Amino acid sequence: MEWDKQLQQLSERLSYMRDIFPEKHVEDMSLLGLQLDELRQGIARGTVKDPREGIESLENLFFFIECKLEDKLTPMDKVRIVRHPQRVCLRDILENVYDNYTEIGGQDEHTNDPAMLIARAYITRRRGKKVYNQSVMVIGHEKGHGEEFRNGGSAKPWGNAKAQHYMQVAETEGIPIHAYVFTPGGDPVEDYPGAAQQIARNIYEMAGLEVPVVAIFSEGGSGGAEAISLADKRLMFSHGYYSVISPEGAAAIEGRLKRGERSSSELIERCAADLHLTADDNVRFGYIDRVIQEPVLGARPYHFEFFRSIRQEVIRATDEVVLSVRGPASLRAMALRGLRDREINLDDMYVRWNLSKKARLRLVEKRQKHFLRLSEGTYFSGRSWWKRVTDEWSAKCSEMYNKLKHDLYLSKRRSVSNALEEANAELDILKYRLTAPWRRMRSAFNRTPKPLATEEELTALSEWDRTQERGDWTWVSPKAHEDRAVTCPNSALHGCMDLWAPDLYNEFAGVCTTCGHHFPMEYQWLMFNCFDDGSMSEFNEEVQAGNPLAFPGMDERLATAREKTGLRCACITFEARVEGTQAVVAVLAGAFRGGSVGAAEGAKFVAAAERARRKRFPFIVYCHGTAGIRIQEGTHGVIQMPRCTVAVRRYVEAGGLYLVIYDTNSYGGPVASFLGCAHYQFAIRSSNIGFAGPGVIKNTTGRDIPPDYHNCYQALARGHIQGVWDRRDVRTNLKQALLTMGGRNLYYR
Amino acid sequence: MLDVTSLLESIKAEPYTEMPVRAPHTGVINFAGVREGDRVMGPCGEWKEVPGTRIATITREHNPKPVAAFDKGVIQVLNLEMEGHFVEAGTEIAVLRHYLSRDEVVRIILRKSLQLFCAPERAKYYFVPDVDKKVKISGSRSVTVQDGMELFIVSRMKREVPLIYHGAEGVIYEVYFKQNENVDAGSPLIGVCPPDQIAQIEDVIARVQMDWTEAE
Amino acid sequence: MENNHKVLIANRGEIAVRIMKACRKLGLEFVSVYTAEDSSSGHVRLARETGGPKSLYRISSYHDANELLSVADDAGATAVHPGYGFFAEDFRFARRVTERSRPLIFIGPSWRVIRELGDKINTKRLARSLGVPTVPGSDRPIYDELEAEKVARTLFDFQLQQGVARPLVLVKASAGGGGMGIEEVRDVDLFRSVYRRIRNYAMRQFKDEGVLIEQRIRDFNHLEVQIVSDRSGKNPVHFGTRNCSIQSTGLQKRVEVAPGFDPSSVHYDFDAARVLEDITGHALAMARKVGYDNVGTWEWIVTRDGHPYLMEVNTRIQVENGVSASIARVNGEKVDLIAEQIRVGLGEPLGYTQEDVTFEGVGVEYRIIAEDPSANFTPWVGNIERFSWEEHPWLSMHTHLPPLSPEAPYAIPTEFDPNLALAIIWGKDLNEVRERGMDFLEHLVLEGRNGKSEGLKSDVEFLKQNTARMLRF
Repeated sequence: MEWDKQLQQLSERLSYMRDIFPEKHVEDMSLLGLQLDELRQGIARGTVKDPREGIESLENLFFFIECKLEDKLTPMDKVRIVRHPQRVCLRDILENVYDNYTEIGGQDEHTNDPAMLIARAYITRRRGKKVYNQSVMVIGHEKGHGEEFRNGGSAKPWGNAKAQHYMQVAETEGIPIHAYVFTPGGDPVEDYPGAAQQIARNIYEMAGLEVPVVAIFSEGGSGGAEAISLADKRLMFSHGYYSVISPEGAAAIEGRLKRGERSSSELIERCAADLHLTADDNVRFGYIDRVIQEPVLGARPYHFEFFRSIRQEVIRATDEVVLSVRGPASLRAMALRGLRDREINLDDMYVRWNLSKKARLRLVEKRQKHFLRLSEGTYFSGRSWWKRVTDEWSAKCSEMYNKLKHDLYLSKRRSVSNALEEANAELDILKYRLTAPWRRMRSAFNRTPKPLATEEELTALSEWDRTQERGDWTWVSPKAHEDRAVTCPNSALHGCMDLWAPDLYNEFAGVCTTCGHHFPMEYQWLMFNCFDDGSMSEFNEEVQAGNPLAFPGMDERLATAREKTGLRCACITFEARVEGTQAVVAVLAGAFRGGSVGAAEGAKFVAAAERARRKRFPFIVYCHGTAGIRIQEGTHGVIQMPRCTVAVRRYVEAGGLYLVIYDTNSYGGPVASFLGCAHYQFAIRSSNIGFAGPGVIKNTTGRDIPPDYHNCYQALARGHIQGVWDRRDVRTNLKQALLTMGGRNLYYR
Repeated sequence: MLDVTSLLESIKAEPYTEMPVRAPHTGVINFAGVREGDRVMGPCGEWKEVPGTRIATITREHNPKPVAAFDKGVIQVLNLEMEGHFVEAGTEIAVLRHYLSRDEVVRIILRKSLQLFCAPERAKYYFVPDVDKKVKISGSRSVTVQDGMELFIVSRMKREVPLIYHGAEGVIYEVYFKQNENVDAGSPLIGVCPPDQIAQIEDVIARVQMDWTEAE
Repeated sequence: MENNHKVLIANRGEIAVRIMKACRKLGLEFVSVYTAEDSSSGHVRLARETGGPKSLYRISSYHDANELLSVADDAGATAVHPGYGFFAEDFRFARRVTERSRPLIFIGPSWRVIRELGDKINTKRLARSLGVPTVPGSDRPIYDELEAEKVARTLFDFQLQQGVARPLVLVKASAGGGGMGIEEVRDVDLFRSVYRRIRNYAMRQFKDEGVLIEQRIRDFNHLEVQIVSDRSGKNPVHFGTRNCSIQSTGLQKRVEVAPGFDPSSVHYDFDAARVLEDITGHALAMARKVGYDNVGTWEWIVTRDGHPYLMEVNTRIQVENGVSASIARVNGEKVDLIAEQIRVGLGEPLGYTQEDVTFEGVGVEYRIIAEDPSANFTPWVGNIERFSWEEHPWLSMHTHLPPLSPEAPYAIPTEFDPNLALAIIWGKDLNEVRERGMDFLEHLVLEGRNGKSEGLKSDVEFLKQNTARMLRF
């Protein structure tokens, strides 16, 4: 009887191992199982002389094999560790890492989203006899050891909204945020506020959050993870993973599976390795700052030593963030050096965590610059060193020039002319009053005779300057050269007749004349029919998408895409005019690998935002279609979400007008970050906008969704976008948008 | 009140309908590999988003247009000798033997128990715009009609005239006409259920749901 | 002309019958189409009886170009005759027919001409550029409220100067058509509110705020000039004028008379012969300018004091073409305008000039329609049981109705225009035509019954009443 508990523990350790290594290391498992059974039977029969010794030696064997297997862990094994219900979860951390806490985002299932947990907690530190309780806002996903209602840690949009709210609370109170990322990904439900939309808002919020943020990754699943992880310091558990997509999802795409099919475990294993999703990989890439070492085969709730090291590391990280921006610059380095000593107990040391106004600004600036620098060198920049130097110089010069022109000259001139206008208006009124009696007299005496209406005027040809007429397009799709009829997908509902392709794709601009359905058109259509003729000048065209993870087969696929589209990556950036108004434009072309975004696209986007900021131009993004983040680039792709959002935030806060237009299908990371965060978003009719496409939703959640689930009108009703445009009116609508949302003053505050 | 039991018995005696599948338009026909005796499905899925089994493809003006089964059943006749030939609109290409589903039995019975409002003349009928919007958004049962209410637009000979509803007040329980299709004089347009009979009607539906077992 | 052409008749009813007959006269093959609803129509019967192999197809809709063209390909047609209505003035159809991978000849003007003259602003500006009189008012869409009001004021003043007692101004959406988005203004002070209403309507309906502002002319004669030209577009010839002033409510024509005026037997307050000369001259000038290359009609308004204004151009054969043909002679021979249209459409030169065209007598066309003139001309629907008339050498009847009896009645299909027949009567002068017309109408038998056992209603009485009014102002 007395040995039962220890035997039970051992058998649990064995079944845990069996879970982690399904159908692998069979010999080790059966050896341990055999030994355990023997011992148990032996004790039960009383044949074992010294049960304690037997158990101890078996425990040693267990430990030996665990250590052996620890060295053989594959990336997929780590994924299984992270997903195991016995893995530590946020509640364990709150219990064991912090000294006291109160859940404030609801309790258990009594909350709007049990997958998102918010708590106010404090850490007690001592200096000499003095005790300090340092408050933090803990935000994180709760997987709850497999509790059904936790939804596996997949936060719903309203859960992320809750997180956003408490980030703002922390900002108001000036306390640091500890964000624990324990999510396989965001839940793709599109009810208000919408999965993509809310994640985008969170990232945008965090890009400018004026308190220290430390993110700790255990399970970092793509967009769901980014929703709370744009942090000053990013730590990661050694057995965790941080990835653009689950290995199963990658395998489904790589294996080109149809709905409902399952991919082989070898393929999944291979994809997990190819995605480079482990902690070590991500530290090497620079997206994770430090690793917290876990016990063998992953941390479970009884590994108390591990909680201690988490505590030390989060304190250290928070201290570092604070010290790196506080006080005079010369002292910061010294203070930081003090922390580097791993031997000191940070509980016995005290660093204040509140920041002055100036330090807060430095903090945000530092965080933004850090993210903007990430993922450099993971694509072909294609520029020679000479070009790089000259580009930098011309950027600097134009920055100076624009600063002088806009900040000094124009603003002064405006205030002068405003004053003059007001004076003139006053003068007019005065003049009117003074001359009133005279005018009265004149009108009484002098009735001007009406001029005779001339027949000429009414019956002769008048002058008419014909502007561009509908149906007369600058760019015509090659689809318009095929002699065939095309059926509208709504024909059953609206009785649309088949349209002749040369009519449909040329004159009708791909719009069904009966129901108004918009057939997808090439990205060139809008590019060439929306901006003024000959006003386009491309820049950064030499940037080319690379294969930073050396993903098998990717180089060939990129080469094919280049050949097919004539593009070097999915993002085209150029300057152009809309009815005379200069703008910087970025196009995400769906033709190049589904418009997916990787490091090259991100780099071009960031450069375009920067250029728009420098030149004080509006920044227009035409998302012709995007399938999401390019999964073959792994975290190099994911990191573009916070990175580009930071660029957008810097541009918008500098006073720019950022406008996004969606066309065809736009899903995934880009919509859930730098596109979805725009204050002004519009969609071309019949486009779809969402977090995950219908196939992905079916694969990840098993849910069937209605056919119009991602329709732009749903996004409009939800408040994600601000309007739905007819393709033929984009030019007029864009002009209207620039007039009403920008203004006379160069669309600049 | 109507005798549901005997009505059900009479339907049970003849539970099949034979439905011809006709070419919806002209073009060159190619059969899709189904055979006589094959089981076919109509549109299915929660939102009818999965189209029915394809029976043939008719290519017109270089545009291959599928002809799908509109309901589930067994193909009884398939005019395979037309393969590769040009067919005129309305040509019979197959016959489907269809076992009445629960919903259809309900519809048959509802047609006998609801207050029907019939078409006064052969024409195309539309709901007036307000009602049409309501029907499209929240379904016909959200619309209550009263005697003397302007409910339809009758379109005939390129002229449109309003049509006033006469009959009992109630919700539109069933709609029997389709847009852009002619309705013969005397055919029902809508079935109206007076509010005090809703419970009764629902009772009948429940009985059918229990009594009628759908064969495959 | 090559005789190996096969003409697809993309129409139904009376015009389909007439095209079939014209094709046979020219020795051409044809292919006809019908819908399930229309299977008892006379054109189906005639096609069945007289057509060659592959000459009759059932299609799902006359409105679907894809159906027509797939039939054309299967039947081996080489040309398409659109008749009137349906695709007759659809430049996109004409363009598709001629530019598809298996091109066909479109028997009608080339698509560029249809497009140019199908647009009322275009037509008006073209007319003005040639000095052709058009209705006073703007000739381009006006977007500015102040400018619109200025035009309206000038129009009111102009009408007062002209001695119009109660001037009226018409405001219409420039992108509109078919009587939608048109309103009259009686008082210049009310102009702004009407203008804004139309502008907002146009914005909603057509996404274009432009409006046209024109004088509204009342109590006018409606005249038409029939033009025929060959593919060269250089030698248009007119086939005289028609007067279509006798209309039902809603501007539907019921009686058409050729020529447009008859100064020899009716007194006009203006020089009627001069007006006819002017409008034919103007029509020919415009036709030459655009290179008009088939049959077409120039529609004119002639005011009480004899001012003609061009209204619009119809780039198709019209219903009333037969009445012009009845009084026209080419080198002394009778002429069939539909046959002429097919002949020139297929590329044959016209072969005669204006001097060869002479006119003789007066013709009238009655449209016999099942409708109730006392109830706003609403169409009557039911079965026609009897339809007969006395044959005369001076009468030609065009109908698509099959032979009828009470046992085999004809059910009027509800899909289409309710025309039953066209009766064309010729006389050597106006008086004789009137007498013959009354004679014909007196002897016409038209009986039927609808579902409620009510008797057939037709416009015959209306036609009788208006026979005396013909060509009178």
